[in-house]
Amino acid sequence: MILFVFITENILMAQEKYPYEVTRLSFNLPGFSEISPVIIKDGIMFCSDRRLSGVTDRTSFDNRRLYSVYIAEKKDTSDWRRPRAVKSERSSQFNTGPLCIAPDQNTVYFTSEIETGVPSRSRKFRNHSGIFTARLDGLQLNSIQPFEYNSREYDMGQPSISADGRFLFFASDMPGGHGGSDIYFCESSNGEWSEPVNLGPKVNSAGADNYPCIHSSGKLYFTSNRPGGLGGLDVYYSDNINGVWETPVRLPEPINSSSDDFAFVALPDLQKGYFASNRRRNDDIYEFTTTIIRKASCNPLEINNYCYEFIEENAVKYDSMPFKFEWKFGDGNKATGRIVQHCYNGPGKYLVQLDVTNLVTKEVKLNEKSELLLIEDVEQPYISCPETADAGSVIRFSADSTNLPGWDISQYYWSFGDETISIGKNVEKSFARPGTYNVQLIVSTKPEQGGMVREACISKNITIRRKP
Amino acid sequence: MKADTAIQKIILILAFPLTLSGGGEISGQAVPGKDENIPFLVTFGKNGETSWGDDDFNSIFFFTIPKDFNRQFYIMVFDPDCGGQNDEIQGLFDSRTMFSVYGGKGVDPDKNIESRGLKNSDNYKLGNLLASKVFGSEDIFDNKYYAFGPFNPTEGDYNEKWKSYIFKIVCEGITGDDGNLYRYFLSREAASELPIEGANAFTYEYTFRMWNDTKSIAHIYPYVDTGIVSIKQRNFDWDDDGVILVVSTYKQGLPVPISNEDDEKVSVIPVETAEIGKSLDFQFHKKQEYLVRNNNVVVSLENQRGDALQFFSSPIGGVPVYQPVIGIKKMKR
Repeated sequence: MILFVFITENILMAQEKYPYEVTRLSFNLPGFSEISPVIIKDGIMFCSDRRLSGVTDRTSFDNRRLYSVYIAEKKDTSDWRRPRAVKSERSSQFNTGPLCIAPDQNTVYFTSEIETGVPSRSRKFRNHSGIFTARLDGLQLNSIQPFEYNSREYDMGQPSISADGRFLFFASDMPGGHGGSDIYFCESSNGEWSEPVNLGPKVNSAGADNYPCIHSSGKLYFTSNRPGGLGGLDVYYSDNINGVWETPVRLPEPINSSSDDFAFVALPDLQKGYFASNRRRNDDIYEFTTTIIRKASCNPLEINNYCYEFIEENAVKYDSMPFKFEWKFGDGNKATGRIVQHCYNGPGKYLVQLDVTNLVTKEVKLNEKSELLLIEDVEQPYISCPETADAGSVIRFSADSTNLPGWDISQYYWSFGDETISIGKNVEKSFARPGTYNVQLIVSTKPEQGGMVREACISKNITIRRKP
Repeated sequence: MKADTAIQKIILILAFPLTLSGGGEISGQAVPGKDENIPFLVTFGKNGETSWGDDDFNSIFFFTIPKDFNRQFYIMVFDPDCGGQNDEIQGLFDSRTMFSVYGGKGVDPDKNIESRGLKNSDNYKLGNLLASKVFGSEDIFDNKYYAFGPFNPTEGDYNEKWKSYIFKIVCEGITGDDGNLYRYFLSREAASELPIEGANAFTYEYTFRMWNDTKSIAHIYPYVDTGIVSIKQRNFDWDDDGVILVVSTYKQGLPVPISNEDDEKVSVIPVETAEIGKSLDFQFHKKQEYLVRNNNVVVSLENQRGDALQFFSSPIGGVPVYQPVIGIKKMKR
């Protein structure tokens, strides 16, 4: 709700709408659970306790249905093929998943029970989960190896590996946390994983913090039941700024709901992704698409430049010539020299005149040469806003200086780079957290003759400082 | 094509003021030319001192008569004697000056480089001697014209580049040490200044007298032919009399090193593409603080290959006027 708190309070001439649309995926099965989507090349992998075949549920020794990994591929842009199970030596007796897949698209990190021997068959035995690696060969997980920090004393799981393969995030209730399960990471160095590092109290609450997803942008998405949510589990994200994980931000509706919403993953451009939710009683996987417009091609704002250099081109080649050059810039200002510089206050027509004094004869040639200088603003949408501001402060964004002659602009659309938007020529906005945000202003015209709508985009970075 | 273009320019330049002035004087016939603002040429007797402003005691000028001109003409010398008015006395007027007019083969300096007379060893008298006369200090020629001629144009040495017949007049200080100050005029008649349309005059070494006026500016106009990338200028005996500036459409006024008494200064001036096919304007600005009287100066130019440049009495392409170029560019932020 970060987006709309300020909209309702502060926006001028702005319109409001949800920034995401969500769709329940067609392959979810009633009565079964589908969770933990992982984006792969042609679709997703996910976990489900659905029947592998026939009518018999696979259950653990304590009669709980077992989760297995499935691959669902896109049939087309709107539908999915029937998911296919990924099997392993464990899948008949133990849970497989949640999981993640390494950048090589071949190594899978997945959650499963640590103890597979006789003790695991005892109803009284508390079998903890751990992280395992395996090689994905088609629909088979082979060469399963336990993660070195697995423990029979606590749970570890829900792995997420960074796009460069360097960091492995996971959830664990290992001792030393902040309560419930916390999110940790290990860093890979020379093929060795560092000891787990707790992400700290800003990210980890006293409740359950789990399902980490380290996005290629560096944002960490995770799930938490911390106070202040919409109900049950909610999806949050945190940015790492200068090595510090910032206070998490809860994603807006309709991704979060009053039910459990968790296991969020997104494509690199954040325009689309998946998450799990039990908003329809069962855990199902939903696809989201953002309605926030972010242009891939959006030129940086070109600041209007009214500063010019004036040169007597021939004179500069022979600096021994005994002449004095006086420039009149046409706005009441003057300067002397072969090369001079002057900044005008704004656009306009300026008659630049050059008076030359021959220092030998003392003869003065007034207006020996003149040029009409036409200064125009750059034809572009224009973002007027401060370069920097404090987190939480109200910032005014104005498109008043937009210079698009002949355009009958009907909409000014602001995309602030923090998954919030505003609509209007002049809007106000506050950024909750420090960082550098790429603000896009997209202007569009009313439909012109033939129905054509003209659209232009400009972007500008704004740096938000930590609140003093 | 080069020759055609050049001669067409000469014709245009000469015809233009005629049209404007409704039959007024064509300045190209007068040597020094009207635009040059030089009162007299000067040649000292051979016993003179070079420090007086003449380094070789002779002067050579060439006249071009357009091939289409088929009437007789005269080369008039104003104040040919050395005595009385205008001339520079050294003790007593005891100098004799010989003027000789040459035509025919050997005169054209394009075909016979020695005809330019730039080196002491040059045989600059090749050609047919058409007329000559020795002048002493004679009142009847003092401050008056003496006319050589009449000459037929075809008596000259035909130059295809200029499409003109070339004549040469040589002035030599054969005795004495006084300075003979004189002028030429190319005329259709002996008794009056009647210019010949399309004619011009040039020299390779200019020896001239400055006005005795601190505000006076003398000009000479070398022609920058195709292929020239730099010019070596030599000025002799300028007596440190002010400033010499080189002006063109491209150069607003480039100072060159100036010579002192009996001294020469040499420097190289770069030539820009925009200056090719036009004339330069060598401006001689006299010292403002005090008057240097009777200053005579010698100027010669060569291109980068050592070939001498011609000074035209009527500048080819007209008097060059500097064209300032204003560049305006947006500053980087």
